[in-house]
Amino acid sequence: MAAGAGGPPRGDGGDDGDARAVDAALMARYCAGDAQAFRQLHARLAPRVLGYLVRMVRDRAVAEDLVQLTFLKVHRARGAYVRGADPSPWIFAIAHRTFLDEARRRRRARVGVAEDGQPPEVAADLTGAAAEAGAPGHGDDGRGELTAATLAALERLPPAQREAVALTKLGGKSIAEAAEIVGTTPGAMKVRAHRGYEALRRALGRAPRAAGEPGEPR
Amino acid sequence: MTDERPTPDPADPATPAADPADLAADGALSPPPLDDRLAAALRDLTPVTPRRPWRDLAWVAALAAAVVTALVLALSLRRDLDALPRAWVIAYGGAWLGAFVVGAWLALVPRAGHVVPRGLAAGAVAAVAAVGFVVAGLTLARTTPRSLVYAPTALEHLWRGAACAGLGTIAALAPLGLGARLLRGAVPVTARATGLGLGAACGAAGGLLLHLHCPITHPLHLGPGHGAAVVVGALAGALLVPALAKEPAS
Repeated sequence: MAAGAGGPPRGDGGDDGDARAVDAALMARYCAGDAQAFRQLHARLAPRVLGYLVRMVRDRAVAEDLVQLTFLKVHRARGAYVRGADPSPWIFAIAHRTFLDEARRRRRARVGVAEDGQPPEVAADLTGAAAEAGAPGHGDDGRGELTAATLAALERLPPAQREAVALTKLGGKSIAEAAEIVGTTPGAMKVRAHRGYEALRRALGRAPRAAGEPGEPR
Repeated sequence: MTDERPTPDPADPATPAADPADLAADGALSPPPLDDRLAAALRDLTPVTPRRPWRDLAWVAALAAAVVTALVLALSLRRDLDALPRAWVIAYGGAWLGAFVVGAWLALVPRAGHVVPRGLAAGAVAAVAAVGFVVAGLTLARTTPRSLVYAPTALEHLWRGAACAGLGTIAALAPLGLGARLLRGAVPVTARATGLGLGAACGAAGGLLLHLHCPITHPLHLGPGHGAAVVVGALAGALLVPALAKEPAS
């Protein structure tokens, strides 16, 4: 089975509780030794994890590698799952940690190369600098110019604001969930999301919205 | 934590076309197929027992109690225990015990429906406990004629205080190691803060041992000396937990 292909997206809003219950049930079956349950869980969550990682690394190929690594780590750590819990924030937290570790590894590698006098590899930068593979039209994103401009503006945000916007505005996570995923407080996440969102709007030439208007992170 | 959810409103006509919220609907990227390592692992999938946080807490508490009891029996109860105000003994001992229970609970037991423990809260408790026990020792010390009084030179304070801090830290290491091992894979983020909390909690168990064993009652000994068990335990936790709680390599 081509895991992940055609998997139903996890429901939001009113379906959120049901989706969490389904994810929890799948995770419990997976822990009990049901490989098919893992494939179903992968199909449900991997697209969203990939979406988050693509927005963070701006490189589809690297993001896919990180998704593989994330789910390998989930597999190895499945004994840490708590029965009945929603596995999604935990899996996203593992993805976030995987991204941070990879960014750190590549930053070190880039410093090592720079010390040798060689220019860094552009696509290897995961921390906000230009990545040619993330250019508009790359991969199967299929977004238009405005979307590409938004992603380019997202790329220029500080990493903390970028992850906040990627998780909340783009990934549909609640402030509390996003805070849990990156390991910060809801208050700090709210501030990061707000600042990142306003910076994005400024970068795209839009007037900032008044607080409390629809679309404002709450 | 609140469970507030941002509301993207791509259907809102006032929303500009390039509004970042428009991208919220795009969560359906096709992920790659499972890689070979994962596919192979799934072919030989073995059942595992999910983590049971309350049982983990019970294990850590039982080990801490066993270590403290064994060391108190081996080293003897403090000789001035009967002469000290009973309320002070109980309150101070209860504070050590409470710091252990709260810190270990936050570091090991997640909120209902969650997998990752409350590491940030545990870290905050560690900070409060570290400062609190040093300050409490400096301000709330009680002495009796049967307590041990020694020449209050700075060097002697440091020497004896370091010995007590070392004993408290030794008492903390076993439950700290067990707790870190039980957290394996559960703290992909906030591992260091979780370690601070668990370490401070286990250091507080060491502080309880010192409270029951050490008859030195000078504020400069009780504060920096016994309080250091929490500080050193927290630092040890911040080092050990991120290393020991990583997910298994295979």
